[in-house]
Amino acid sequence: MTAILKTPAAWPAILLRREGETGGETARDPKRRAAAAGAAGPAFDGLRRSVRELGSRGTIALLAEAGLRGRGGGGFPTADKWRAAANAEAPAKYVVANGYGADPSSLTDRTIVEREPDAVVEGVAIAAWTIGAEEAIIAVRAGSTDAIAALQGAIDAALSRGELGDDALATGRRLVVEVRTVQGAYMLGEETVLLKALDGRRGQPEQRPPHPSTTGYRGMPTVVQNVQTLASAAWILRNGAAAFRATGTAETPGTILVQVAGNEQGGVAEVPFGTPLGDIVKLAGGVGAGRSIKAVLVGGPSGGILPADRLSTPYTFEALRLLGAHVGSGSIMVADDRACVVDLARVLTRFCADEACGKTIPCRIGTARLAEIGERMSAGTSRAGDVQLATDLADDIVGSGLCDHERLATLPLMSGLRYFGPEVAAHVERGECPAGVCRPIHFAASAPTAPQPTMAS
Amino acid sequence: MSFIPGLGLVKGMGLTLLRFFEPKATIRYPEEKPDVAVRFRGRLQLLYDEWGTLKCETCFQCAQACPIECIDMGGMDTKGRFHVHWGPPETYGERREESALRRSGRTVPDRAFEHFEPHDTTAVDGILEDHDYDPKALLEILEATQAAYGFLPVAALKRISEKTGTWYAMIYGTASYYSHLRFEPPAAEIQAAALAGRRPAEATYVAGLGASLHGRTGGDA
Ligand SMILES: Cc1cc2nc3c(=O)[nH]c(=O)nc-3n(C[C@H](O)[C@H](O)[C@H](O)COP(=O)(O)O)c2cc1C
Ligand code: SF4
Ligand code: FES
Repeated sequence: MTAILKTPAAWPAILLRREGETGGETARDPKRRAAAAGAAGPAFDGLRRSVRELGSRGTIALLAEAGLRGRGGGGFPTADKWRAAANAEAPAKYVVANGYGADPSSLTDRTIVEREPDAVVEGVAIAAWTIGAEEAIIAVRAGSTDAIAALQGAIDAALSRGELGDDALATGRRLVVEVRTVQGAYMLGEETVLLKALDGRRGQPEQRPPHPSTTGYRGMPTVVQNVQTLASAAWILRNGAAAFRATGTAETPGTILVQVAGNEQGGVAEVPFGTPLGDIVKLAGGVGAGRSIKAVLVGGPSGGILPADRLSTPYTFEALRLLGAHVGSGSIMVADDRACVVDLARVLTRFCADEACGKTIPCRIGTARLAEIGERMSAGTSRAGDVQLATDLADDIVGSGLCDHERLATLPLMSGLRYFGPEVAAHVERGECPAGVCRPIHFAASAPTAPQPTMAS
Repeated sequence: MSFIPGLGLVKGMGLTLLRFFEPKATIRYPEEKPDVAVRFRGRLQLLYDEWGTLKCETCFQCAQACPIECIDMGGMDTKGRFHVHWGPPETYGERREESALRRSGRTVPDRAFEHFEPHDTTAVDGILEDHDYDPKALLEILEATQAAYGFLPVAALKRISEKTGTWYAMIYGTASYYSHLRFEPPAAEIQAAALAGRRPAEATYVAGLGASLHGRTGGDA
């Protein structure tokens, strides 16, 4: 299990209960969980409130009042999605909880599923009740045994308490939650791709609109929601909108899990939206003594590389997007003064290009060419005009991309160019790497693997 | 051998002169269009990229789009992961015939697979039965098939296509997307990576990122 970073006691805990409270390790042990649930009174109070007091409209209104937004990276207002699905007329509706966790170096989604499976299942049940779905799916990565066991335990407990099942909450309505595993591609985190994988099809994104909330799983209205979003929804129903609004910022109340990696330690932490990046970096100890922070990589494989002087930026969807980064997978990684921005951008862009699905030209060819430009820069074989070419290409990809993946894949290189111009110029114009990482001159002689040939296309 | 010296030269010049007065075959494209069938769309051809690998991703979207099922892929995909066991021997004419047969409901003789190892399809039949021949459960069926055979043999994919009524191109296109599904028995080192539960691209990325950030890896999965 991942390390949970200690956060200041003043920070609210919405998603992960703090050590000493029930939850955490307790959540994974069925016996201890049953005991804890007994002590804490009936579980799924949020679901009861949603079903018995508020009803569908009331629940959606409460979420809108609380200002809940998606934690999966996009920050889309959750109430709008649920309203669209609730209003849609269809023979069947579905809820899909996205717990895939596409970024291989971020374990935020897995952490909440392992530690707070009850909150996730309760959130799923609330969503299903609200939009009128009888079946819900929680999609997790194949092989995450702990997460699957935790979810299954929570579902079984809810079944035995009568909150799920053929006669859920004694209302005569059927509500079943199923855990499904998917694997085999980074893109499976994207909602339309996830729906296709669950449907047994090739995982390539679909054009939107129609959004999944009207045409989703098996062509039916489907609410696809990140597991953290669903756990937050359950918390809001239990504690009210005003309490939720007390944390975070006005546009984005609440908290989010981030995966922070400093030089010495790293782990998952729950931070309120609007926390300055610098404070988040400090949770993992920064770069340690004797080193200085050169850059922070915010957002995972398609994240932006922000310079140290932007550490005062609040962690919100809008502020990060303005700077050319994004919330993405919740990953925040610190690079110290020894790192090379071009090398970093090269690694990230290459991964994004390799994982692009191939459906559209910006995705298939655009990202590949972008990755090649990055590789040329770090190999010291840049051609005249490569910087301009990369910028123009990135513009075209952003303008013509089908899904968000290829649009975001431009961020590492573009933010590198934006904030570390002189360092990039040293690579491009003189074939030098100021940090001494790329060593273009030594590259051919000492490289264990042959450098990528860069012939004219 | 001729007796008159220079006769060969005169003959050659004569031919040149003859051609000179023949009607010209130059077509002033695009002012003048060549006379081809209205539905002609050009010859199908797979292109190579600058490293000499086929650009084809083996996504089979083209095969799915072709109404008479005459498109099929052969070769390596861009990532060099596998090749498509669907050899070039059959011509488009034969493919059309196969498609026509399938549509007529008769079984299609499958000459293209004669040179592949025969596979016992009992296992896949059992798997299909377990999944109720449901094309919606394709991914589970494919995973179970791979578990049974160690990889996805073409014969098994064909069997799935036949029994579920799903288009072969659809099945292949789905299987070729997921990195944990393979069409060949795995090599030893690939198996080790598969056992580690992480696909090579992800491992490469995590290792590369760690190296880029000085020997630190991001997650501890
Ligand atoms: C390349 C890519 C990868 C994604 N990966 C994930 C993921 O791992 N988990 C997730 O919840 N959302 C992921 N998303 C976002 C989803 O498409 C979708 O917006 C989200 O699941 C919706 O839930 P939310 O509104 O609660 O955020 C990804 C999007 C893209 C473009
Ligand atoms: S299989 Fe896919 S990538 Fe290959 S030629 Fe057909 S459409 Fe193109
Ligand atoms: S990754 Fe292919 S269309 Fe977005």
